[in-house]
Amino acid sequence: MKIRSILIKVLFSISFFLLMHVVLINSHSVEPDEILKNQKQEQRARDISKNIRCMVCQNQSIDESNAPLAKDLRILIRNKIKNGQNDDEIYKFLTDRYGDFILLDTPFKLSTLALWFLPFVFFIIGFSIIYLHNKRSKNV
Amino acid sequence: MKKKLTILPSIFFLLILITFFYLLIIERNPSEIPSNLLNKNIPQFETDSLFNDKKFISSQKFGDEIILVNFFATWCKPCRDEHVYIKRFSNEKKIKVIGINYKDNKNKTIIWLKKLGNPYSDVAIDKSGMIAIDWGVYGIPETFIVDSNKIIKYRHVGPITQKMYKKINQIINESK
Repeated sequence: MKIRSILIKVLFSISFFLLMHVVLINSHSVEPDEILKNQKQEQRARDISKNIRCMVCQNQSIDESNAPLAKDLRILIRNKIKNGQNDDEIYKFLTDRYGDFILLDTPFKLSTLALWFLPFVFFIIGFSIIYLHNKRSKNV
Repeated sequence: MKKKLTILPSIFFLLILITFFYLLIIERNPSEIPSNLLNKNIPQFETDSLFNDKKFISSQKFGDEIILVNFFATWCKPCRDEHVYIKRFSNEKKIKVIGINYKDNKNKTIIWLKKLGNPYSDVAIDKSGMIAIDWGVYGIPETFIVDSNKIIKYRHVGPITQKMYKKINQIINESK
Protein backbone atom coordinates (compact mmCIF):
# COMPACT_ATOMS: atom_id res chain seq x y z
CA MET A 1 0.00 0.00 0.00
CA LYS A 2 2.77 2.35 1.04
CA ILE A 3 4.81 1.62 -2.08
CA ARG A 4 1.75 2.22 -4.23
CA SER A 5 1.11 5.66 -2.76
CA ILE A 6 4.77 6.60 -3.17
CA LEU A 7 4.64 5.42 -6.78
CA ILE A 8 1.53 7.52 -7.44
CA LYS A 9 3.21 10.58 -5.94
CA VAL A 10 6.34 10.06 -8.03
CA LEU A 11 4.30 9.58 -11.22
CA PHE A 12 2.25 12.66 -10.41
CA SER A 13 5.40 14.74 -9.84
CA ILE A 14 6.97 13.55 -13.08
CA SER A 15 3.84 14.30 -15.13
CA PHE A 16 3.51 17.71 -13.48
CA PHE A 17 7.16 18.47 -14.26
CA LEU A 18 6.72 17.40 -17.90
CA LEU A 19 3.54 19.44 -18.24
CA MET A 20 5.23 22.55 -16.79
CA HIS A 21 8.16 21.98 -19.11
CA VAL A 22 5.88 21.96 -22.17
CA VAL A 23 3.96 25.00 -20.91
CA LEU A 24 7.10 27.00 -20.14
CA ILE A 25 8.90 26.12 -23.35
CA ASN A 26 5.95 27.38 -25.36
CA SER A 27 5.41 30.45 -23.22
CA HIS A 28 5.90 33.81 -24.82
CA SER A 29 4.75 37.33 -24.13
CA VAL A 30 3.87 38.47 -27.63
CA GLU A 31 0.54 40.25 -27.37
CA PRO A 32 -2.17 39.81 -30.02
CA ASP A 33 -1.90 43.40 -31.29
CA GLU A 34 1.81 42.94 -31.96
CA ILE A 35 1.48 39.91 -34.24
CA LEU A 36 2.15 40.54 -37.92
CA LYS A 37 -0.41 39.38 -40.50
CA ASN A 38 2.29 37.91 -42.72
CA GLN A 39 3.10 34.58 -41.04
CA LYS A 40 6.57 34.33 -42.52
CA GLN A 41 7.49 37.80 -41.23
CA GLU A 42 5.97 37.01 -37.82
CA GLN A 43 8.07 33.84 -37.60
CA ARG A 44 11.20 35.85 -38.43
CA ALA A 45 10.33 38.36 -35.71
CA ARG A 46 9.81 35.52 -33.21
CA ASP A 47 13.13 33.90 -34.15
CA ILE A 48 15.04 37.17 -33.72
CA SER A 49 13.21 37.99 -30.45
CA LYS A 50 14.27 34.64 -28.98
CA ASN A 51 17.94 35.62 -29.42
CA ILE A 52 17.56 39.12 -27.94
CA ARG A 53 18.09 39.59 -24.22
CA CYS A 54 15.61 41.63 -22.25
CA MET A 55 17.87 44.31 -20.77
CA VAL A 56 15.53 44.73 -17.80
CA CYS A 57 15.18 41.08 -16.75
CA GLN A 58 18.56 40.09 -18.21
CA ASN A 59 18.02 36.33 -18.22
CA GLN A 60 14.93 36.26 -20.37
CA SER A 61 14.60 36.86 -24.07
CA ILE A 62 12.37 39.70 -25.19
CA ASP A 63 10.08 37.01 -26.61
CA GLU A 64 9.34 35.79 -23.07
CA SER A 65 9.56 39.03 -21.11
CA ASN A 66 6.65 41.20 -20.05
CA ALA A 67 8.83 44.27 -19.45
CA PRO A 68 7.70 47.39 -21.34
CA LEU A 69 11.14 47.75 -22.96
CA ALA A 70 10.89 44.17 -24.27
CA LYS A 71 7.51 45.02 -25.84
CA ASP A 72 9.00 48.17 -27.43
CA LEU A 73 11.84 46.13 -28.88
CA ARG A 74 9.46 43.45 -30.20
CA ILE A 75 7.43 46.15 -31.97
CA LEU A 76 10.61 47.80 -33.27
CA ILE A 77 11.84 44.49 -34.72
CA ARG A 78 8.47 43.91 -36.42
CA ASN A 79 8.48 47.43 -37.89
CA LYS A 80 11.96 46.89 -39.26
CA ILE A 81 10.92 43.57 -40.81
CA LYS A 82 7.90 45.25 -42.40
CA ASN A 83 10.22 47.93 -43.79
CA GLY A 84 12.22 45.22 -45.54
CA GLN A 85 15.34 45.12 -43.36
CA ASN A 86 17.17 41.80 -43.17
CA ASP A 87 18.08 39.94 -39.95
CA ASP A 88 21.70 41.12 -39.94
CA GLU A 89 20.64 44.75 -40.20
CA ILE A 90 18.25 44.32 -37.26
CA TYR A 91 20.88 42.59 -35.08
CA LYS A 92 23.37 45.33 -35.98
CA PHE A 93 20.88 48.06 -35.03
CA LEU A 94 20.41 46.47 -31.61
CA THR A 95 24.07 45.67 -30.86
CA ASP A 96 25.11 49.18 -31.98
CA ARG A 97 22.96 50.57 -29.18
CA TYR A 98 23.09 47.93 -26.46
CA GLY A 99 26.33 46.09 -27.23
CA ASP A 100 26.84 42.34 -27.57
CA PHE A 101 25.19 41.92 -24.18
CA ILE A 102 21.80 42.16 -25.86
CA LEU A 103 22.51 38.89 -27.70
CA LEU A 104 21.69 35.84 -25.59
CA ASP A 105 24.42 33.86 -27.37
CA THR A 106 27.97 35.15 -27.03
CA PRO A 107 29.22 36.05 -30.52
CA PHE A 108 32.32 34.29 -31.80
CA LYS A 109 35.02 36.95 -32.27
CA LEU A 110 38.54 37.88 -31.26
CA SER A 111 37.59 39.43 -27.92
CA THR A 112 35.52 36.37 -26.93
CA LEU A 113 37.98 33.67 -28.05
CA ALA A 114 39.13 33.02 -24.46
CA LEU A 115 35.51 32.58 -23.38
CA TRP A 116 34.90 29.97 -26.06
CA PHE A 117 38.16 28.04 -25.86
CA LEU A 118 39.27 28.16 -22.21
CA PRO A 119 36.74 25.50 -21.11
CA PHE A 120 38.25 23.07 -23.64
CA VAL A 121 41.78 24.01 -22.55
CA PHE A 122 40.86 23.40 -18.91
CA PHE A 123 39.24 20.12 -19.84
CA ILE A 124 42.39 18.95 -21.62
CA ILE A 125 44.58 20.05 -18.67
CA GLY A 126 42.32 18.27 -16.18
CA PHE A 127 42.14 15.16 -18.30
CA SER A 128 45.94 15.05 -18.71
CA ILE A 129 46.45 15.43 -14.95
CA ILE A 130 44.09 12.52 -14.22
CA TYR A 131 45.65 10.44 -17.01
CA LEU A 132 49.22 11.04 -15.82
CA HIS A 133 48.23 10.42 -12.22
CA ASN A 134 46.55 7.11 -13.07
CA LYS A 135 49.46 6.02 -15.23
CA ARG A 136 51.90 6.70 -12.44
CA SER A 137 49.88 4.94 -9.75
CA LYS A 138 49.60 1.88 -12.01
CA ASN A 139 53.39 1.83 -12.45
CA VAL A 140 53.83 1.85 -8.68
CA MET B 1 58.40 15.87 -11.27
CA LYS B 2 55.84 14.66 -8.76
CA LYS B 3 56.41 17.70 -6.57
CA LYS B 4 55.99 20.00 -9.54
CA LEU B 5 52.67 18.42 -10.39
CA THR B 6 51.29 19.12 -6.93
CA ILE B 7 52.66 22.66 -6.71
CA LEU B 8 51.32 23.80 -10.09
CA PRO B 9 47.62 23.22 -9.35
CA SER B 10 48.04 24.88 -5.94
CA ILE B 11 49.51 28.02 -7.52
CA PHE B 12 46.74 27.96 -10.08
CA PHE B 13 44.10 27.62 -7.37
CA LEU B 14 45.68 30.46 -5.40
CA LEU B 15 45.60 32.70 -8.50
CA ILE B 16 41.89 32.01 -9.00
CA LEU B 17 41.28 32.73 -5.31
CA ILE B 18 43.14 36.05 -5.51
CA THR B 19 41.18 37.06 -8.63
CA PHE B 20 37.86 36.28 -6.90
CA PHE B 21 38.80 38.25 -3.80
CA TYR B 22 40.06 41.15 -5.89
CA LEU B 23 36.73 41.33 -7.74
CA LEU B 24 34.88 41.16 -4.42
CA ILE B 25 36.88 43.97 -2.83
CA ILE B 26 37.02 46.52 -5.66
CA GLU B 27 34.04 48.80 -5.96
CA ARG B 28 31.94 47.78 -8.92
CA ASN B 29 28.39 47.06 -9.86
CA PRO B 30 28.32 43.81 -11.81
CA SER B 31 24.73 44.35 -12.95
CA GLU B 32 25.58 47.67 -14.61
CA ILE B 33 26.06 47.27 -18.32
CA PRO B 34 28.60 49.57 -19.99
CA SER B 35 27.11 51.78 -22.68
CA ASN B 36 27.97 50.82 -26.21
CA LEU B 37 27.70 54.47 -27.24
CA LEU B 38 30.66 55.67 -25.17
CA ASN B 39 33.02 57.83 -27.22
CA LYS B 40 30.57 57.79 -30.11
CA ASN B 41 28.42 60.52 -31.58
CA ILE B 42 25.02 61.13 -30.03
CA PRO B 43 22.03 59.65 -31.87
CA GLN B 44 20.15 62.26 -33.92
CA PHE B 45 16.45 62.76 -33.29
CA GLU B 46 13.58 65.16 -33.84
CA THR B 47 10.58 65.36 -31.55
CA ASP B 48 8.26 67.80 -29.77
CA SER B 49 9.53 70.12 -27.09
CA LEU B 50 7.70 70.16 -23.75
CA PHE B 51 7.59 73.89 -23.15
CA ASN B 52 6.72 75.31 -26.56
CA ASP B 53 5.26 74.29 -29.87
CA LYS B 54 8.65 74.31 -31.52
CA LYS B 55 10.30 71.09 -32.60
CA PHE B 56 13.21 69.70 -30.59
CA ILE B 57 15.94 69.07 -33.17
CA SER B 58 18.94 67.43 -31.54
CA SER B 59 21.47 68.67 -34.11
CA GLN B 60 20.66 72.27 -33.09
CA LYS B 61 20.84 71.65 -29.36
CA PHE B 62 24.23 70.00 -28.91
CA GLY B 63 27.75 70.96 -29.81
CA ASP B 64 28.80 74.21 -28.11
CA GLU B 65 29.40 73.04 -24.57
CA ILE B 66 29.27 70.06 -22.24
CA ILE B 67 25.67 68.98 -21.79
CA LEU B 68 24.03 66.54 -19.40
CA VAL B 69 21.23 64.48 -20.91
CA ASN B 70 18.80 63.14 -18.34
CA PHE B 71 16.08 60.60 -19.16
CA PHE B 72 13.28 61.03 -16.63
CA ALA B 73 9.54 60.62 -16.02
CA THR B 74 7.11 61.84 -13.40
CA TRP B 75 5.98 58.26 -12.68
CA CYS B 76 9.53 57.23 -11.81
CA LYS B 77 10.29 57.56 -8.09
CA PRO B 78 14.11 57.49 -8.39
CA CYS B 79 13.83 60.40 -10.87
CA ARG B 80 12.23 62.49 -8.11
CA ASP B 81 15.02 61.41 -5.72
CA GLU B 82 17.80 62.53 -8.06
CA HIS B 83 16.04 65.76 -9.07
CA VAL B 84 17.79 67.76 -6.36
CA TYR B 85 21.18 66.84 -7.87
CA ILE B 86 20.04 67.61 -11.41
CA LYS B 87 19.09 71.06 -10.08
CA ARG B 88 22.50 71.46 -8.47
CA PHE B 89 24.22 70.72 -11.81
CA SER B 90 22.15 73.41 -13.46
CA ASN B 91 22.09 76.05 -10.68
CA GLU B 92 25.41 75.67 -8.90
CA LYS B 93 27.66 74.26 -11.61
CA LYS B 94 25.97 76.14 -14.47
CA ILE B 95 25.91 73.07 -16.66
CA LYS B 96 23.32 72.86 -19.41
CA VAL B 97 20.94 69.97 -18.77
CA ILE B 98 18.61 68.60 -21.42
CA GLY B 99 15.77 66.43 -20.18
CA ILE B 100 14.18 63.64 -22.17
CA ASN B 101 10.71 62.96 -20.84
CA TYR B 102 10.20 59.21 -21.20
CA LYS B 103 6.69 57.80 -21.84
CA ASP B 104 4.94 60.43 -19.79
CA ASN B 105 2.00 62.80 -19.75
CA LYS B 106 2.80 66.33 -20.96
CA ASN B 107 0.63 68.23 -18.47
CA LYS B 108 1.73 66.10 -15.53
CA THR B 109 5.36 66.79 -16.40
CA ILE B 110 4.82 70.56 -16.58
CA ILE B 111 3.13 70.52 -13.15
CA TRP B 112 5.86 68.23 -11.75
CA LEU B 113 8.60 70.61 -12.94
CA LYS B 114 6.75 73.67 -11.59
CA LYS B 115 6.50 72.00 -8.20
CA LEU B 116 10.03 70.62 -7.94
CA GLY B 117 11.83 73.27 -9.98
CA ASN B 118 12.98 73.04 -13.56
CA PRO B 119 16.70 72.43 -14.10
CA TYR B 120 16.32 71.69 -17.83
CA SER B 121 17.21 74.15 -20.55
CA ASP B 122 14.89 72.15 -22.81
CA VAL B 123 12.85 68.97 -22.52
CA ALA B 124 12.34 66.62 -25.46
CA ILE B 125 9.26 64.39 -25.41
CA ASP B 126 9.84 60.68 -25.97
CA LYS B 127 6.27 59.43 -26.03
CA SER B 128 6.95 56.05 -27.64
CA GLY B 129 10.26 55.30 -25.92
CA MET B 130 12.07 55.04 -29.28
CA ILE B 131 14.51 57.89 -28.54
CA ALA B 132 15.52 56.02 -25.39
CA ILE B 133 16.16 52.85 -27.43
CA ASP B 134 18.34 54.91 -29.81
CA TRP B 135 20.41 55.98 -26.80
CA GLY B 136 20.65 52.40 -25.51
CA VAL B 137 18.60 53.26 -22.42
CA TYR B 138 17.23 50.27 -20.50
CA GLY B 139 15.97 51.73 -17.24
CA ILE B 140 15.30 55.33 -16.30
CA PRO B 141 16.66 57.48 -14.79
CA GLU B 142 19.76 57.47 -16.96
CA THR B 143 22.17 60.36 -17.35
CA PHE B 144 24.70 60.95 -20.14
CA ILE B 145 27.59 63.41 -20.36
CA VAL B 146 27.91 64.78 -23.91
CA ASP B 147 30.98 66.87 -24.72
CA SER B 148 31.22 69.90 -27.01
CA ASN B 149 31.96 67.64 -29.99
CA LYS B 150 28.63 65.82 -29.49
CA ILE B 151 30.49 62.74 -28.21
CA ILE B 152 29.04 60.68 -25.33
CA LYS B 153 31.68 60.60 -22.57
CA TYR B 154 29.83 58.84 -19.78
CA ARG B 155 26.56 57.11 -18.96
CA HIS B 156 25.10 56.53 -15.51
CA VAL B 157 22.19 54.15 -14.98
CA GLY B 158 19.99 54.82 -11.96
CA PRO B 159 19.43 57.85 -9.74
CA ILE B 160 22.26 60.29 -9.07
CA THR B 161 23.37 60.10 -5.45
CA GLN B 162 25.77 62.34 -3.53
CA LYS B 163 28.63 60.04 -4.51
CA MET B 164 27.62 59.97 -8.19
CA TYR B 165 27.16 63.76 -8.15
CA LYS B 166 30.82 64.15 -7.21
CA LYS B 167 31.94 61.57 -9.76
CA ILE B 168 29.97 63.17 -12.60
CA ASN B 169 31.38 66.60 -11.72
CA GLN B 170 34.85 65.13 -11.87
CA ILE B 171 34.21 63.60 -15.32
CA ILE B 172 32.73 66.90 -16.55
CA ASN B 173 35.87 68.73 -15.43
CA GLU B 174 38.03 66.15 -17.20
CA SER B 175 36.01 66.46 -20.41
CA LYS B 176 36.37 70.25 -20.56
